[in-house]
Amino acid sequence: MTSNNTIKILLVDDEEKFLKTVSERLSIKGFNVTTASSGDDAITVAKKEKFDIAILDLQMPGISGDELLKILKSNHKFIEIIILTGHATLESAVNCTKLGAFGYLEKPYDFDKLLVTLQSAYESRLKKKFENNQNRINEIQKMSLNSFSPLSLLEALSQFEDGEK
Amino acid sequence: MNQSTELYKYESLAFFGEVNASISHELKNVMAIISETAGLLGDLADLATTGNPVSPESLKTHTGSIIEVIQRGFDTIRQMNRFSHSIDNPITEVNLTELIDLVINLTSYLRFAGKTNVHNCDISKPVVKTSPFILQTIIYKALETHYKNGSPGEETVISVCSQDKSIWRIIFSKMNSGKHLFPDNSIKTMAEAINLKIVNSEGRLELDVPIAI
Repeated sequence: MTSNNTIKILLVDDEEKFLKTVSERLSIKGFNVTTASSGDDAITVAKKEKFDIAILDLQMPGISGDELLKILKSNHKFIEIIILTGHATLESAVNCTKLGAFGYLEKPYDFDKLLVTLQSAYESRLKKKFENNQNRINEIQKMSLNSFSPLSLLEALSQFEDGEK
Repeated sequence: MNQSTELYKYESLAFFGEVNASISHELKNVMAIISETAGLLGDLADLATTGNPVSPESLKTHTGSIIEVIQRGFDTIRQMNRFSHSIDNPITEVNLTELIDLVINLTSYLRFAGKTNVHNCDISKPVVKTSPFILQTIIYKALETHYKNGSPGEETVISVCSQDKSIWRIIFSKMNSGKHLFPDNSIKTMAEAINLKIVNSEGRLELDVPIAI
């Protein structure tokens, strides 16, 4: 079981009280939580730090949760997104899933269910990163077999980071 | 039944549904905060059993938060109750300032809501005999469209002024282009039903409400 200390979460909700309380609960469970009270703030924060998972409210003034979902998924390759909403509909759940959301929970939700969803989302993220890294290893192996110059091989290796973008 | 009557009935129901949906969303948020805060108190109690004492100040803060949010929930239910009873009598005497205050509270639950204040120009009470539900619908739709097209947090002022002995004028100032406020004919049909005159001009909307219909 992965230690929660390694999991970085971005929590986005325009309800300050909700944001503060959930952040505190997740911190007690050992997660590393950063909060944002709007979509704009979330985008700014996500540019400066890497997050494993983002938990987003759908109904927010300014950039809505589903717009934010699209932006985060396009800018951060392996981030997993969990939607929390007080206005859950089947249509919205399907739409969010198509946009790449990992989970969709209706407020008020069961906190233990959120914890389980967070663990699953993190495992999904690790798996995607591993598969991406495997593909890169395979590419590099092919390059070395095809006798590329040491310089181009080094260049390829230098791009072999965690492949976030 | 003709098509405009059917459309009017549908739009009235749709409005009722829309307002109830926004209220239920607000109440869900209230429940979520209470649930999370209660859960947090439980987590802190668990921590205390492992040798991490909880400060009394922290407990007071969290329990105070629950009480505050419960009050917010009660306020929301009060608005819902006022709104629900607005259809008790199809035509009745209405205090315009109180009706507008209710609509402002109802629109505050929209995620894109701005700030609106109501102001009475005259000393006398702006009382008219009209359909409170229809008038609410028209004012709500005007504010909703205005908020959607405006910037978050933008402030609007609604003034209620007597024009003469037969009309009270509701003036919305700092509105976005009035021409888009009522995009469909159902609002115009409703306005005709209560002899309400709608005047749109750049940045301003005026509703002339007759003293009695």
